[in-house]
Amino acid sequence: MAGGGGEKMNVDEAKQKFEEAGYETWITEKMAGVRNKAARKTLWVRVQKEKFREAMQFFKDMADQYPHFSIISCTDLGSNVELNYHFALGYGSHLEEYVVTFKVSLPKDDLEIDSITDIFPAVIYSEREIQEMMGVTVKNIPDGRHMFLTKDFPSGIYPWRRDESGVKETNKLYERWKDEA
Amino acid sequence: MRHDYEIAVGPIHPALKEPIMLRLTIEGEEIVDVDVIASQNHRGIEWIGMNRNNAIQSLYLAERICGICNFCHPSNLVMAIEEIADIEVPDRAQYIRVIQGELERIHSHLLWAGVAAHEIGFDSLLHYTWMVREKVMDVLEAVNGNRVTKAIIMYGGVRRDIDEEKAKLIRKMCSYYREAFNKLAKLFLEDDTIKKRTREIGILKYEDAMKLAAAGPTARASGVKKDVRQDFPYFAYPDFDVHAITPDKLLGYTVGDVYDRIVVRLLEVKQSLEIIEEALDNMPPGDIIAEKKLVKLMAKIKASEGEAVARYEAPRGEDIHYVMLKQGYEPLYSWKVRAPTYINILSWRPMLLGYQIADIPIIAASIDPCLSCTNRFAVVKDGEEKIINADYFHRLSIEKTRRLKK
Repeated sequence: MAGGGGEKMNVDEAKQKFEEAGYETWITEKMAGVRNKAARKTLWVRVQKEKFREAMQFFKDMADQYPHFSIISCTDLGSNVELNYHFALGYGSHLEEYVVTFKVSLPKDDLEIDSITDIFPAVIYSEREIQEMMGVTVKNIPDGRHMFLTKDFPSGIYPWRRDESGVKETNKLYERWKDEA
Repeated sequence: MRHDYEIAVGPIHPALKEPIMLRLTIEGEEIVDVDVIASQNHRGIEWIGMNRNNAIQSLYLAERICGICNFCHPSNLVMAIEEIADIEVPDRAQYIRVIQGELERIHSHLLWAGVAAHEIGFDSLLHYTWMVREKVMDVLEAVNGNRVTKAIIMYGGVRRDIDEEKAKLIRKMCSYYREAFNKLAKLFLEDDTIKKRTREIGILKYEDAMKLAAAGPTARASGVKKDVRQDFPYFAYPDFDVHAITPDKLLGYTVGDVYDRIVVRLLEVKQSLEIIEEALDNMPPGDIIAEKKLVKLMAKIKASEGEAVARYEAPRGEDIHYVMLKQGYEPLYSWKVRAPTYINILSWRPMLLGYQIADIPIIAASIDPCLSCTNRFAVVKDGEEKIINADYFHRLSIEKTRRLKK
């Protein structure tokens, strides 16, 4: 299945396309191989929250193949929460595949992001995960249940947070049955 | 004096392996809806890595994310941190890492093949496959000192060398597997019963595999020519001409069913043997680790700041870690682990829809799930839920095999 029927492009061309569309981008890399040296590259794209869905659609349309969704990682940076949407593009091209990561920063007082399950169906588990682990609300999520935490996990506690809503005493969390008994 | 005892039973069945639940809606024998409920047991490994452990401790923790792929997860963590802290790995260590990774693939694929045989009630084949698998386990023990959780990889290299004596053992193992391979391939691919139970069963179409971002053998069996070793440079893999294996390589066509997943994994065992032999032939001399002193290494990591994504082709599919380090903060500041099963369980739905209850064990097992086998199911009948355990399903599966044999 093609993405949006875009052209095949390497990481530099992809970077240029994102820059032309007005996104801040940068590339990190690391060498691998011994006799045949090759660099593995990650393209980072910073996206404003308001333009997030637009950027995702843009990415899907410009790619020549269906972008391979990997995972959403999520970091508590104090006053805001940073979401990274990791994709890989260019499979099948020998050693030319690269990671594309979209960075979205959300202020702590407005932890909300649009769901992109209609564009990339595979993100559903990850969206469910950031809801329960970081307390980010995913707008229009088709299935908002817990993913990895148990059904009865206390609300208002988010294991990946580094503030007062994080997990402080893990044992106590799981010993609530003692109070209830 | 009276004592109260409390015994916890479930949600993980004590007789079974891993915690996950599939909720299936059945109409007669046919599966019409599938829901995966993973929230049975959360170990909080990422939390420990981000709050309690330092980077070196987390390496050993990463090794314990999964017992079978105990080389993949630390490899990913190591690659991410080597990128952030700018650590250069000696050439010889890169080759040893490739050999370790491929040894692991062989044992994991053979383990899976045995499980697959067991799921359809072919236990003599399970025992044969696992007997064959013992060879690689013995070699792992001889080379690393341990069969699993070998603690072989380290930031900046590996902890043990593969000298001539060990290389000889590995070569001997390779020739043993070349012989065993033909027999295994005959048993798995030409047996009529296995064909009947796996051909046209649990099909995952190419389009679905792409859309649901399937990884590893699950994706390749649906014709997606995707393999991190081929596509994305890491370790010494760019030196090897790795090509993603799809079933059409053997058969000339791809169906995307359970049988194709067997084909892909068996061919990958052969591919691993080739990579190992090539690596042993071309192993560069020199050091195996960049920094021997752990305190110095720790200081270097602690002084680094940045983020990186690492990817690794684990036996079950693509493994991804995201790591963020903050200067002066001892644990990892951010750590996200994505095991291949995380994404592959999405494919269960299209695979299971329309098939019979008795096919569930083999279809569920066909993605080589890391967190589970089929542990139990809730059957909804007229709105009423009934929980059925895996033993019952296993029995159903065996009965189906017997029916087909008649």
